[in-house]
Amino acid sequence: MKEYTILSLLSVIAVFLVDRLLRTRVITSGVFWIFLAVMYAFKIPSNGYLTGRPIVLYGERFFMNVRLLTLPLEDFVYGFGLMALTIILWEHFKRKGDVR
Amino acid sequence: MSWSSISRGRRMKTEYCIVLGCILVGPLLLSGHRRLRIYSRWKPLLKAMLAVSTIYWIWDVIASARGHWSFNPLYVAGVYILGMPVEEWLFFPVLAFVSVFTWEAVKTLLWKDR
Repeated sequence: MKEYTILSLLSVIAVFLVDRLLRTRVITSGVFWIFLAVMYAFKIPSNGYLTGRPIVLYGERFFMNVRLLTLPLEDFVYGFGLMALTIILWEHFKRKGDVR
Repeated sequence: MSWSSISRGRRMKTEYCIVLGCILVGPLLLSGHRRLRIYSRWKPLLKAMLAVSTIYWIWDVIASARGHWSFNPLYVAGVYILGMPVEEWLFFPVLAFVSVFTWEAVKTLLWKDR
């Protein structure tokens, strides 16, 4: 497997673990998947422009080069981790500061 | 139609910056809505933005150095920090803010009477 492919998958596993360790229960909530659908709806055109123009170029050796439109498959996995971790940390810091 | 590249149009060094602006403008304009209570919780907001950005900055610097991805010099301003254009550094705080806004907006819309 290619490096970016592995790292993107590992990041998602790590983010699942963080969600469990911090007991934020973000990924397992129903609202998270609605949030994700909204985010992906905006991610596809913006990330699509970055990868299609292309503003961001990918190293052939490091990813599968399987794309949906212009988006590498790994970007969808990477994006999941990034968005999930952001919300997990936001929920965590909100609770810690008691400003829920 | 080919999706392999969007190569038409004048090439501008501001393009990555414009993409960031497009991502940010909607959430920024709507984020002041008091029901969302985003700015009244600025401390956890900044903490979350900084924490997630730090993790992904580290990943990004290493991955860029290894050649996982690179940035087309035609579309960035040309200011680089640790080998990455400044636009790429801004990407993570921008995305974190937009994510928090969208998360709170979705929750507010779903639970109208809370």
